[in-house]
Amino acid sequence: MNSAPVIRPASGEKVTLTYWAWLKDLQNVCDIWNAKNPNVQVNAVWIPGGNGGGYQKMHSALAAGGGPDLAQIELRTIPEFMLVNGLVDLARYGAKDYADRFDKTLWGQVSFVDGVYGIPQDSGPMGLYYRPDLLQKVGADAPKTWDDWAATAAELRKAKIYIDCFPLADPSWFTAVATQAGASWLKVDGDSWTINMTDDATLNTARFFDKAIDKDLVTTAYAGFSTPWFAAAAADNIATLTSASWGDALLEGVSGGKGKWRVAAMPTWPKGGYGSSYIGGSTAAVLANSKHPKEALEFAIWMQTSKEGIDALIKNCGIGWSPDRDYIGKQREQPSAFFGGQNYNEEVFLPATHEQNPDWSWWPITQQSFNILADGFRKKSSGGTLVDAVAQAEKNIITAFRNKGLSIRKVES
Amino acid sequence: MTSTVSATRTRTPSSSLRGKSQHRKRMWAPWALLGPFLLLFILTFALPIIIAIGESFTKVTRHGIFGEKGVTTEFAWFSNYAQALANGNFIASIGRMLLFGVVQVTVMIAACTVLALLLESASARWPGFFRAAYFLPYGIPGVIATILWSFLYVPGLSPLIDIAGMFRIQLDFLGAGTVLWSIANIVTWTYTGYNMLIIVAQLKAIPTDVYEAAKVDGAGPWRVARSIQLPLIRPALVLTTVFSIIGTLQLFAEPQVLQSVAPAIDSEYTPNLSAYTTAFAYNDYNVAAAQAVLIAAVAFILSFTFLRLTNRSSK
Amino acid sequence: MTAPATTLAPPAAPTKPAPTMKRHGRPGASRSSTIVVTGILVVVAIYFLVPVYWVIVAATKSTKDLFATNGFLFAGHFSLWDNLGKVLTYDNGAFVRWFLNSLLYAGVGAAVATYFAAAGGYALAKYEFRGRNVVFGTILGGVLVPGTATALPLFLLFSQLGLTNTYWSVLLPSLVSPFGLFLCRIYADATDDSALLEAARIDGAGELRIFHTVGLRVLTPALVTVFLFQLVGIWNNYFLPLVMLSDTNLYPITLGLNNWRSQVDRLPEFYQLTTGGVLLSVIPLAIAMIVLQRFWRGGLTEGAIK
Repeated sequence: MNSAPVIRPASGEKVTLTYWAWLKDLQNVCDIWNAKNPNVQVNAVWIPGGNGGGYQKMHSALAAGGGPDLAQIELRTIPEFMLVNGLVDLARYGAKDYADRFDKTLWGQVSFVDGVYGIPQDSGPMGLYYRPDLLQKVGADAPKTWDDWAATAAELRKAKIYIDCFPLADPSWFTAVATQAGASWLKVDGDSWTINMTDDATLNTARFFDKAIDKDLVTTAYAGFSTPWFAAAAADNIATLTSASWGDALLEGVSGGKGKWRVAAMPTWPKGGYGSSYIGGSTAAVLANSKHPKEALEFAIWMQTSKEGIDALIKNCGIGWSPDRDYIGKQREQPSAFFGGQNYNEEVFLPATHEQNPDWSWWPITQQSFNILADGFRKKSSGGTLVDAVAQAEKNIITAFRNKGLSIRKVES
Repeated sequence: MTSTVSATRTRTPSSSLRGKSQHRKRMWAPWALLGPFLLLFILTFALPIIIAIGESFTKVTRHGIFGEKGVTTEFAWFSNYAQALANGNFIASIGRMLLFGVVQVTVMIAACTVLALLLESASARWPGFFRAAYFLPYGIPGVIATILWSFLYVPGLSPLIDIAGMFRIQLDFLGAGTVLWSIANIVTWTYTGYNMLIIVAQLKAIPTDVYEAAKVDGAGPWRVARSIQLPLIRPALVLTTVFSIIGTLQLFAEPQVLQSVAPAIDSEYTPNLSAYTTAFAYNDYNVAAAQAVLIAAVAFILSFTFLRLTNRSSK
Repeated sequence: MTAPATTLAPPAAPTKPAPTMKRHGRPGASRSSTIVVTGILVVVAIYFLVPVYWVIVAATKSTKDLFATNGFLFAGHFSLWDNLGKVLTYDNGAFVRWFLNSLLYAGVGAAVATYFAAAGGYALAKYEFRGRNVVFGTILGGVLVPGTATALPLFLLFSQLGLTNTYWSVLLPSLVSPFGLFLCRIYADATDDSALLEAARIDGAGELRIFHTVGLRVLTPALVTVFLFQLVGIWNNYFLPLVMLSDTNLYPITLGLNNWRSQVDRLPEFYQLTTGGVLLSVIPLAIAMIVLQRFWRGGLTEGAIK
């Protein structure tokens, strides 16, 4: 479909676009556009979160020859959809004209081989959410480096509090921290992929958390923002959470948490590495069977770069972080009541976006790779190590690439 | 056990013609009656299996870093099956289900037999109430039952863990070693009452003179249970076991729903979950088809073997 | 999970015990054994009813209380009507739509499936024709193959036919009950109605007419069993609609409630929707089960095993 002729924009007749996303109350945002564009009406349909069934829906719709015009696809999943020819190359419809409106790191993650396959919608610059009251119990402040973090964690354990959780079943957190240390696992090199998961940055990160888990500094019983995590947070058993900016909306779901949390910069590695990292982040992509790609692109650009679009997204959908290079949204420019009056977006997350690893790119079997890594991580609870898990996962990911008929080779750092 | 329709007719001139057309009617009648069922059966059972087998022998290869340089479909010999069997997770899931089946089916069948015997014994009061209470979970779909039980398993929400905590007992329902049995608990909770009713039905069919004879011989309740009731409910036991075996291999909803609260459950925890993930998360329809064929084959062989074994020993 | 079969009342039912005697004509039990046995039964009943009690309590709580109070005790604030109201009105009555969808899939599906199974079973039992055993053997094979193994390839087939994500994608597979046909055949075989059939034929009735008048009437007990079995089976089916449907308007109640549950971590108000929704779906099912359990008739199916 990307080699077929470009579909001309509709002339005069009314066009209805469907948009599948798991954003809350997206229709409110679409209605702002709908009011101003009577000829192009957008209809939002809620689907479960990507990895909780949303992507499966999209894949089965594509396989059956149908599907929506627009879909919410995370940055890390764009290459997977490219592999099944599921996305329209928006460069053919003029997307590159808008490149300068977007954060460079994000634009890099949607551009492959001269094409543009999604319009960045939000991202997840990371910071440290923390409970000053719980940290005060052991006389600590928000840790500035990972070593501080480990030391504080040990003190907190004496008060029977965990500093954070380490999600064994969701390697995206580990990946983000390794990225912060400087890792860049997969890259395109000409006609093939190259992989390097056993570089120093990754292995040092793995060793660090191996020690942390062995010393019981973190809990591995649940992941952040899961039901057991909410219960533990409400019971004052969790002191901090290193997570992305979109966590602020989720944090407000902690029973009785108002006013108790603050935000600080993410802890950093002692040598090298970056100030922050990112987890998650979605795009609005145009799916292959859409009959109105040009109109869909225009809507996506409006939604993600116009002031009113961004404000509406933040107000209604609680998106993580505006993808626009210059505008973070009116709401985010204010101090926050939940965070005790701290203007955390301008203080913490805005600078964080300038300190991210720009070299990272995603690859076509991200979900399968994360499952492979998670399987290895799970062995930690029966005597394995994260270091071994990473090394084994690298081998299994190479096999998975080859099974799909893609060429890949291992490079050393 | 067939009842043949009587074919003899007195041949009179007027009735012989009628006999011929009646015979013709009877030739196509069974096919007319079977027709709708057969058509749908072919559409929803036979064709899919044939398609699955076909897909499992096909392979898709891609060129270029994203397949943008071309995609070719070709005959794959057994490479999909090899890939399915080389997938450690898939093999582990089958092994896990066999272990699960051996333990859970045995415990459940034993429990429902004991309950049936107790319920039908002379010592039980209010049998109607108990039958209703035990049967109730059967009507609750597995998904909803799992949602219910997940709230009883999650620390912080679960009153069971809170109560145990008061006695200083640490309960962990969702840990790596225990989550499989927590799933087994949900399945047992849902189906025990149902299976029990089947056995109760068969118990009720035992003629009273058998019991009279036993009483005359001076047999106590234990002896009666062992020597009379158990052998006579054997057909019901066999039936429930066969279907429980088939059910075990189909386990999907319970682990999938528990996944979000139990990190120990990976996305290939049971054979069906593995096939589903392979098809819809990894987009490997061909390998998933091979997995589906393997699962169907294993289920068929296990049930068939079990039926053969119990038939042979009953002769 | 396909569950075991139910059994039928054979035409020659054993004599029921005389009402004056205790069950099965055995002597009355001693008091101590009554206490022990009843005690065990009560404990077991508690096990089966605990989750139902929990959801009744949970549906009266707000999300905050759900986390703050013990699950078996009521909270200070009674929000049951609030929660149930939200459940019924959320998303323009999505819950009601899902419930009606389930009724459609299960009710219509089971009714039609029973009819087709009865027709097929009757045909196999009452007529001798070439290919009869082959047909029966193939259908029997269908009983032993798990439904979930066919759901994935069925999805591929239906995508080619353009049927996915429609009501038919879930209805069509629900109309086939190999086990139902099997039960009907066994029952028809064991029923001796040749006299009725002969009489009808002599009266000049066509074969199909005979089936609809005589055959269905004779098969009625089996029909009830097959209908109930298929009804519960379709209602509980999760894998098939999950694979086939992506439009939430077509969802049965199982998919709908799981859809809500999957949002709890993102939007805490879904805890209340989920517990309320579960309660509202469990109540009618519980009542139906309590009423229906007396229709599961007793009998022998030795022939079914051979």
